[in-house]
Amino acid sequence: MDFTLTDEQLSIQQTCRAFAEEAIKPIAREIDEKSEFPLALIKEMGKMGLMGLPIPEQYGGAGADFLSYCLALEEIARGDASVAITMEAHISLGSTPFYLYGTEEQKQKYLVPLAQGEQLWAFGLTEPGAGSDSGGTQTRAERVGDEWVVNGAKMFITNAGTPISGGVTVTAVTGKRPDGRNAITNLIIPTGTPGYVIGPPLKKMGWKASDTRPLNFDDCRVPAENVLGEEGNGFHQFMQILDAGRVAIAALCVGLAQACLDESLHYAKERKQFGKPISSFQAIQFKLADMAMEVELARLMYYKAAWLHMQGQPFGKEAAMAKLFASEASKRAADQAVQIHGGYGFMDDFPVSRYWRNVKVNEIGEGTSEVQRILIAKYLDAR
Amino acid sequence: MHAPSPPAFPQIWRNPTLKIVVCMKETPSTEVPKSLGADMRLVRNPSDTIINPFDEYTIEEGLRQQEKLGGDVIILTMGPGTTNDPMRRALAMGATSGVLVSDPALAGSDAVATGRVLAAALKKLEADLVLFGQSSADAYGGIVPSITAEFMGMPLLSYATKVEVAGNNVTIEREAEVGYTTATAPLPALVSVAKAINNNPRYPSMKGIMTAKKKPIETWTLADLGLDAAQVGAGAAKERVTGATPVSTQRRREIYNGSAGAAQRIFEFLVENKII
Repeated sequence: MDFTLTDEQLSIQQTCRAFAEEAIKPIAREIDEKSEFPLALIKEMGKMGLMGLPIPEQYGGAGADFLSYCLALEEIARGDASVAITMEAHISLGSTPFYLYGTEEQKQKYLVPLAQGEQLWAFGLTEPGAGSDSGGTQTRAERVGDEWVVNGAKMFITNAGTPISGGVTVTAVTGKRPDGRNAITNLIIPTGTPGYVIGPPLKKMGWKASDTRPLNFDDCRVPAENVLGEEGNGFHQFMQILDAGRVAIAALCVGLAQACLDESLHYAKERKQFGKPISSFQAIQFKLADMAMEVELARLMYYKAAWLHMQGQPFGKEAAMAKLFASEASKRAADQAVQIHGGYGFMDDFPVSRYWRNVKVNEIGEGTSEVQRILIAKYLDAR
Repeated sequence: MHAPSPPAFPQIWRNPTLKIVVCMKETPSTEVPKSLGADMRLVRNPSDTIINPFDEYTIEEGLRQQEKLGGDVIILTMGPGTTNDPMRRALAMGATSGVLVSDPALAGSDAVATGRVLAAALKKLEADLVLFGQSSADAYGGIVPSITAEFMGMPLLSYATKVEVAGNNVTIEREAEVGYTTATAPLPALVSVAKAINNNPRYPSMKGIMTAKKKPIETWTLADLGLDAAQVGAGAAKERVTGATPVSTQRRREIYNGSAGAAQRIFEFLVENKII
């Protein structure tokens, strides 16, 4: 067993760490307070090749491996959660489906500008009435002549409404399968298509600088060729997409937890009570030790899931475990970080109050903690 | 009537064969405390070696010139070559290739020997435009660019805050006490870039990182440069470090009680200390 990172992985990690420290952290508070999408920063990340990090060079990406992408996300998340989720949703959910299921023509047309960071792309799965029950999708697409006519609504969609959003891939019911269940198809809907209505940004507890919106489709027509992958195979496709996405979310959570630990350690050494730095008290030391242990554990879990994925081995169980543990560990870390900061931790002048607001959604997005537990139990064949 | 004069040669404007050479030093990380060995030389730990921070501006300038003019950016460094990290990082930033001059006989070389070696390497490279940083963050000598220029018999434009190549000339701006001065030299020439150029050195791009390993790094020895070991290294050094004392940072405080004459005393204090 060898945990040594390659030169490229190390270099990507170091570069992202420096970038997060120098370019992201200094603006994190402001973009959160203003709920402002950091367009200039995302464009800079695009130029650096971060927005197409794991996409092969032939499609405009940097051609890094999956672990490199996760390492980068961890470092970016250490800088800011909103920026990290923008990158994660764009790569894991927006771009990867084109790479995995797109035709060569679709890859050239859609994937290349995404990987080069010129455009962002969204993935529309969740609906107002279909969250964890993704099979219960209500959005329908009907084939009329050479077109698909889409009707329905999507909810909590990341990256659909930024000034550089190229479009959204939506899941829609296109018929019945032989077993009577809905046949779901992924459809490519470019921004600006008549009938595709992008709602106003949603107001959120955290991730305030990321773009989250409701979408509506009202007799929205796209050409028949806008099917992504196999018609009727959409459910299977997004299950695969979500598996890898969970590993990425786990890495993102590790970055958030690490940021909580960084701030807590720094503060505990500076803050004096009873004439001593509070870091000299066991009550605080134990909190720091537990945080460090959980960060390390969560990191090892996403490393292993990423490694399995890169080996072409099944990784669904490990992905669910890593996402579940890392999201809950990051919440515990944020909670303890605020506790260590005391009253100051409750104030917006210290970043941990923002961290505390940002960690919660990781137990919900890309599969709730409950869904992860159901998945793990399924892998155990517990019935 | 006479024939129109031929274009100046070498024609530099978008010249695919232009060779921009950036001289880069590998220095100890600024985050690690520095220490001197018994030989009064800096203790160098290969794993804590970085691009000399002043040279980041120079690499950026080289890449910007290349984007404007075409050609190649070659990183030239002299050192033990125990790690390729700083060189790889420079290549990941976008440089074309690297040359490492490394030879056991070079250990302990002073600034004169360093200039001699760099001059030989630059001649071998047939550099058109040579860029240096203003100094190194370990020794802070700041004299290697002029020594190298002297060995090469080429002009040096020093402490540039702006570099402009047009036709066969390079023109720089240099900060002066009031405003700035400009200086021009025909190519090939050497330019040392001041930190004040403030050109926002780029992060290595992800593609750059992924392709850096595929870029060529050549290693040259003294023999490759036709130099004699007796001309370089500790033995040939004309300067010797005989001692080193840490900078003392003791604060001197003067507290003046009472209001009468306080302004006069502050004024005198500032004059005594040559602050005003």
